[in-house]
Amino acid sequence: MPILEVKNIKKVYTSRFGGNTVQALSNVSFSIEKGEYVAIMGESGSGKTTLLNIIAALDKPTSGDVLLNGESIVSIKERDISAFRRDNLGFVFQDFNLLDTFSVQDNIFLPLVLAGKTYEEMNERLKIIVKKLGISDILNKYPYEISGGQRQRTAIARALITKPQIILADEPTGALDSRSSDGLLKLFEEINNDGQTILMVTHSIKAASKAKRVMFIKDGEIFHQIYKASMTDEKMYQKISDTLTMIVTGGERNE
Amino acid sequence: MSRFFYSKIAVNNIQKNSKTYIPYILACICTIVMFYNMSFLAAAKNIGNLSNSSSLRQVLIFGEKVIAIFSIIFLFYNNRFLVKRRKKEFGLFNILGMEKKHIAIVMLLEMIIIMIISITAGVLIGIILSKLIILLLFKIITFKVVFGFEIPIKSVIHTVILFSGIFGINLCYNIFQVHLSNPIELLKGTNAGEKEPKTKWIIAVIGVICLGRGYYISLTTKYPLAAVGGFFTAVILVIIGTYCLFIAGSIAILKMLRKNKKYYYKLNHFVSISSMIYRMKQNAAGLSNICILSTMVIVMLSTTISMYAGIEDVLRNRYPRNISVNAYNVSENQIKKLNDVIEKQTSILDTTPMNTVSYRYMYFITTQNRESFTIKEINNYIPSDAAELVFITIDDYNRMSNKSESLLKGETLLYTLNGNIDGDEINLNGFKFHIKKRLPSLYKEGRLTSIMANSYFLVVDDMDTIKEVQNALKGDNGNIEYVSYYYSFDVNAKRDIQIKLTQALKKELIRISPKIDIEGSESSRKDFFELYGGLFFLGIFLGILFIMAMVLAMYYKQILEGYDDKERYSIMKKIGMSCEKIRQIIKSQVLTVFFMPLIVAVIHLIFAFNILTKFLSMLNFTNVRLFVICTIITVCAFSVIYTVVYVLTAKTYYKIIRE
Ligand SMILES: Nc1ncnc2c1ncn2[C@@H]1O[C@H](COP(=O)(O)OP(=O)(O)O)[C@@H](O)[C@H]1O
Ligand SMILES: [Mg+2]
Repeated sequence: MPILEVKNIKKVYTSRFGGNTVQALSNVSFSIEKGEYVAIMGESGSGKTTLLNIIAALDKPTSGDVLLNGESIVSIKERDISAFRRDNLGFVFQDFNLLDTFSVQDNIFLPLVLAGKTYEEMNERLKIIVKKLGISDILNKYPYEISGGQRQRTAIARALITKPQIILADEPTGALDSRSSDGLLKLFEEINNDGQTILMVTHSIKAASKAKRVMFIKDGEIFHQIYKASMTDEKMYQKISDTLTMIVTGGERNE
Repeated sequence: MSRFFYSKIAVNNIQKNSKTYIPYILACICTIVMFYNMSFLAAAKNIGNLSNSSSLRQVLIFGEKVIAIFSIIFLFYNNRFLVKRRKKEFGLFNILGMEKKHIAIVMLLEMIIIMIISITAGVLIGIILSKLIILLLFKIITFKVVFGFEIPIKSVIHTVILFSGIFGINLCYNIFQVHLSNPIELLKGTNAGEKEPKTKWIIAVIGVICLGRGYYISLTTKYPLAAVGGFFTAVILVIIGTYCLFIAGSIAILKMLRKNKKYYYKLNHFVSISSMIYRMKQNAAGLSNICILSTMVIVMLSTTISMYAGIEDVLRNRYPRNISVNAYNVSENQIKKLNDVIEKQTSILDTTPMNTVSYRYMYFITTQNRESFTIKEINNYIPSDAAELVFITIDDYNRMSNKSESLLKGETLLYTLNGNIDGDEINLNGFKFHIKKRLPSLYKEGRLTSIMANSYFLVVDDMDTIKEVQNALKGDNGNIEYVSYYYSFDVNAKRDIQIKLTQALKKELIRISPKIDIEGSESSRKDFFELYGGLFFLGIFLGILFIMAMVLAMYYKQILEGYDDKERYSIMKKIGMSCEKIRQIIKSQVLTVFFMPLIVAVIHLIFAFNILTKFLSMLNFTNVRLFVICTIITVCAFSVIYTVVYVLTAKTYYKIIRE
């Protein structure tokens, strides 16, 4: 059974006064198996964030369904949603979304505190993750005192500490310089190798070329997908950019 | 770029920031209305028609000054808040190619627009309200109505000059602020205070010491006179202490709580403590302002209301009898004439003196050294070792208090009011008395009510002894003919007859000796109403002003925090905190932060209670029960207003969060 199944998702934004409507997603379906590392590529405004928000239960689809481990998250009751999100999903955002009132350590602890874990347990988990991410030295610093790369690592640590079913990352390299981006992508590969399922949306070819599978979204639909299999990063990069050129020049769909 | 272009930007800016600017302009208008009205009262011709106009006028002029100082601080403080919020906007202008010079022009235009609106509206509304205000004042002090309508040009000019000045200073500050910073800083502007505050132990300790010292002074003040000096010292100490504790103490406590891992890593505590540590840095000053304003409002209202409500008590305290005559250094012959005059004048007005109290006495201001006293020349102030000695004879004492004590020469009955003499001996520059008995109480009236310094009342065997004491103390050797004489009585007559009698006595008695004072409770009543009514009025007036200031301070605090928290809570929501939980945490946090100043204010008040009663007793107000009741009512009423303001301003906060 796939860990995540997205079925015929449609999302129409209606402006507050009913007038304008924007169709962000028209019909999106795909599924992700446990342990996969999937990237969704698309231009700015193609509906990537919308899709991720729906998968994250932060937003409701106009129609369609999202199943996590076979369970529909669209039908989860409003008051259980936060707990569901906290227990099953880990988030990494483009702008990190760290809280400036918390130290790095407390930022990482936040989801566990929300889940009501004891300090001992939190500390136990923290030690392991922090070591892997190489942020042990900055635990007592505050977000504004550390670099962008370190902030993103903190955000990843915060996502990982709940041992989520799946990590959802929205343009995680978007606000980073290229060196920090490389580090981050390497990190994603490593955690994926440890068995962590990752779904990342991005418009960076370089970021996407590290994933094991890349899906392309255009006009609110999944347009095409590429499996990396045994390809090298360079080969994958080439293939992705070819596909993008094809999408832009309006070539026909290639199954 | 044309002038027109700038003014368009300026108008646009004010509109765009209407959420902060409209309250600011309203506050400016209210402050101007208040100032104009106080200035108007201080200058109003109608006040001149009152009998005791000079003391009332003084109260009003004092009020005008207080409001002026308050306006400067208040408007400057709020202006600073506005600029801080708008730095980002100015940074953006700067980056988009607007020079600082041009930003300054925009700021100037904005300020001119705000100034013209505020001053015009403020003065106009002030003029319209002034009639109402003077009616109210007269209602309070004389229960009469006034006619006519006046617009003292002097007050209008004062108002315009003062507030133009305030706006000018604020403008300079704003331009200076923008001038100092570079665009990047300007862009960050609002978020500048992000660093976690350090624990400032020294300031926290200073705060504790100041507050402790202030409380100590208040609790240990025994004498009314000491209350005057002590009161102002205590007020200043408590203000400093409040600031220090809000600024440093709060952070120290929060950080200590954070150190306790078990406590800290509970969801509610986790979020509140961390954000309060962060927030205290920006808000400590605002919270202490609110706290101090609250304390001031409550103290001012409760004291002035008590005095006004207890005006009859005060009169009775100050004038135990309807009419009293105090003659200093008169001869026996003059005393006889005095008694005759009183008898004659009362019978002319068809009444007779009742409840008569009379005694002869002598008093000396001395320097006390344990049980020894030496004479002291008093200058302007009274040192702490000064002691007042008042002598009366055993005959007068027995008559006044219905006793039948007897004394031998060299024996005395001692009553002590403040002060202390150990042992059984008193040495008056060589003249010794044996204390036969200490009186637990003494009928007090006239000179016997002294409250100034340490006072001792000595009952001795006869007048000759008193004269010998005088010889001993002053070193005179001659035979002294003069004593002081006090005579007081009630009359069973209407108010106007009493006033007539007092005036007649004044005229007649002055012929006997210029050193005779006559006081009538009825003729003083008007003066008391004018003075205490004036203070009461001022109390209410300033109370309203301070409450307005508080409302604005709270409102701005809510907005500031609303924008700050908005982002924070949206992140927490994404990470998995339910809206319900968020709401709950916000609520408890906002409640704590908001009601802390009120709670601290009430604590201040409890500690201030002792010194306040002493202070009031100097103004002849000794009805502690009434004061307690008035204070409790004031505190309750104030808490209700505070809560209403909180509920209203909290709405803004929630609206911002939900946006
Ligand atoms: N809350 C919203 N209300 C209305 N339209 C929205 C909203 N969020 C996104 N959109 C629109 O939906 C489309 C997809 O947006 P988004 O998912 O943010 O794209 P991406 O993340 O790929 O850049 C855009 O056209 C955007 O304008
Ligand atoms: Mg996006």
